[in-house]
Amino acid sequence: MKKNGRFMVGLVGVAAVVTYLIWTGVSETMVYYLTPVELMERVEADPSFHDVGVKVGGMVIPGSYSRMEGELLHVFTVRDLVDEETTFTVEFRDALPDTFTDETEVVLEGRLRSDGVFEATTLLTKCGSRFEAAPEDLAGTAG
Amino acid sequence: MTILGEFALWISLPVAAWGMILGYAGGRTQRGDLVLSAERSIYAVFGLLAVASAGVSAAFLGDRFEYWYVASYSNADLELFYKITGLWAGQRGSLLFWALLLAFFSTVCVFTNRHKHREFMPYVAGVLQTVILFFIVVLLFADVNPFERLDFVPADGQGLNPQLQTYWMTIHPPTLYLGFTSFTVPFAFAVAALLAGRLDARWIQLTRRWILTSWLFLAVGIVFGMRWAYEELGWGGYWFWDPVENASLLPFLTATAFLHSIQIQENRGMLKVWNMSLVLLTFLLTIFATFLTRSGLIESVHSFAQELRIAYIFLSFMGAVLAACVVLILYRLPQLRSENQIESFVSRESAFLFNNLLLLGAAFSVMWGTLFPLITEGFTGQQISVGPPFFEKVNFPIGLTLLALVGIGPVIAWRRATKRNLQKNFATPVVVGLVTAAMLWLLGARHGLALVTWSISAFVLAIIATEFWKGTRARARIEGEGYALAFFHLISRNRRRWGGYIVHVGFVTMCIGFAGAAYNTDSRFNVQPGDVVEVTSPFGHTYQLTYEGLSISVGRGQRNLIWQAIATVSVSQDGQPKGVLTTEKRQYTNRDTQPMTEVGIRSIVHEDLYLILSGLNDTNGALNNRTGAQGIDLQVLIKPLIIWIWLGCLMITIGTVIALWPNVDRRRTVTGTGPEPAEPALAGAD
Repeated sequence: MKKNGRFMVGLVGVAAVVTYLIWTGVSETMVYYLTPVELMERVEADPSFHDVGVKVGGMVIPGSYSRMEGELLHVFTVRDLVDEETTFTVEFRDALPDTFTDETEVVLEGRLRSDGVFEATTLLTKCGSRFEAAPEDLAGTAG
Repeated sequence: MTILGEFALWISLPVAAWGMILGYAGGRTQRGDLVLSAERSIYAVFGLLAVASAGVSAAFLGDRFEYWYVASYSNADLELFYKITGLWAGQRGSLLFWALLLAFFSTVCVFTNRHKHREFMPYVAGVLQTVILFFIVVLLFADVNPFERLDFVPADGQGLNPQLQTYWMTIHPPTLYLGFTSFTVPFAFAVAALLAGRLDARWIQLTRRWILTSWLFLAVGIVFGMRWAYEELGWGGYWFWDPVENASLLPFLTATAFLHSIQIQENRGMLKVWNMSLVLLTFLLTIFATFLTRSGLIESVHSFAQELRIAYIFLSFMGAVLAACVVLILYRLPQLRSENQIESFVSRESAFLFNNLLLLGAAFSVMWGTLFPLITEGFTGQQISVGPPFFEKVNFPIGLTLLALVGIGPVIAWRRATKRNLQKNFATPVVVGLVTAAMLWLLGARHGLALVTWSISAFVLAIIATEFWKGTRARARIEGEGYALAFFHLISRNRRRWGGYIVHVGFVTMCIGFAGAAYNTDSRFNVQPGDVVEVTSPFGHTYQLTYEGLSISVGRGQRNLIWQAIATVSVSQDGQPKGVLTTEKRQYTNRDTQPMTEVGIRSIVHEDLYLILSGLNDTNGALNNRTGAQGIDLQVLIKPLIIWIWLGCLMITIGTVIALWPNVDRRRTVTGTGPEPAEPALAGAD
């Protein structure tokens, strides 16, 4: 029975370590997922939120995309999905994914600098719409 | 044909329901006629679902764009090959395909057991029909009917996403589905064992091959997905901890745990409740994975839709299965008592248990991380997500411990390992591991995690190599055979054991490859034709890359393709010319305004050279062949040891197939390498 007890200690130990890893993992890597409107509200309420890493989903405004000549810096403007008035400029220094266009929905990770420019470290395009077609769009093509 | 298919799908509903009821009733009453009818209903449902699938394929081949599903995933110009594979290109078709595969496996299972194992089979048929019925219900009533018609006929379809138009993408989903669906058979046997009260290890022995097969398909399916991501997504990675990737990993982790823990039940009669729970959990996770992949519950690179009704149907089914199984297990609890107790902390049972616990811990953390946004949103109304760093932080330590256990588990003695057993088996490998670490350090490897991974890998490989060496030599001495023949016989006489070792070597090989990622390099250049750039790899190779220029083809090549810009780069490695690599941008007709990237990869044992055409300086100029418009952004990645990952997967496949092969000689089943009678012959080995 004593052996079993020792064994249980081992099992509980492993469980505890795994729990600890999950706990610290979450607290160190968690990222708020906000809409642009929520992000603006947060930053307004608490300026230190400028330094917090966030994930923001928004819509790229058509025609706002430009690329800095000679360097890998992409600049474009993103608006809230619902409230078209809430916008911010995004700077992204990396290769853009193939799926990026200046009218896609994007999910950005990074932080909103105090000058109001969002410095994105990763950029994902929302691919749901790409992989999932919407034949309703074809309605006009009925022949 | 398509109408017939739709009709067949509707007919399959009552047939599956009939078979389900008769299966359970037949098992309860032991009436042969009911059981026979239940079994035949499975063949019938398979036939009906095959007709339904043929109906969908016919709609694809005939460009029947009045069907929502065809209009969404095909167009007139799509290549024939992708029209054929259109059946599993999207959510609706793949759910039908899922049901078809399940019905196929059910048919195989029922047919091969038609004269055997009568105590299980009625219930097995009942459970299989239950799951099939569920998928038919989903197809018909969850707004995902592949036969749904539009109220107009579009002139052409949307076309298939070009990223899905690759070889890997056509075989990756079916392979995973084969793994998911075939796991239903062991689950059905487990439930049958509970219902029939046959709670010894019989159901496990009967389904061992199914479990292994399913496990293999899962493993290979996941690696195919990695391969697709690596070659097609164009960012040089193979795993992104994306919700859908995670979803396929979950059942694989629990299935791996199950594969190990059933050995304890077979050998020592322990862990019966645990095994029942694991088989249930794995089954639920295969359903969950299908659900997550095909419902778009969590935002992901490849989620397909955002339908709510399907979510409720799936969740209710999973809830019902869970509740029913928990009740059954509780009801049979007295008969599920362990026949033995763990005797020592240092024993094979204990190593296997730790393996199980770690695998479940990994599965739990992956699930937690994947569902975290949903959980936080549910509790705080605020989505908070965790990214790849979370999964890596949690799973790297777990993975490394598992890696070490891969070496320790199979050679530590059952019941209780003696000090001598430990010394004999582990002294040399520990030294090998430490020497490897020291050597790598001297060679300049400074990345802690990679160093630890490679040392543990060396430790494990040393253990396994010693096992093979001892076994071969003992056999060569006793039977007087040559070493090659002895080695061959060694494996063929106990395929299960040595096949398992080969799978382990494959896993270690993959881990060695994974750790290579610590030395990835990434350089970016803006080049004009004739420019030469130099990249030095972590293994000390110097690549000289000469950008030869851009070749444009407009309106040629594959159909659906508007233009294609191919950058040609000559590669020379350490001054030796090594041919050319190309990387492309492609513009397809359908719905993309942005071109797709095709990467150029050159693999050698050490590393992959991975070229990405990140952008054209002047796309319009290049397309019109204007001079001076040939400049490009070229991204050059060096990815060390990638090939080891694919190689490891190949070994896993070979090892599993060896373990699956029927054992011809059952006399020589060796269960461990502890203090055994054969020991004197092996004593010289260390």
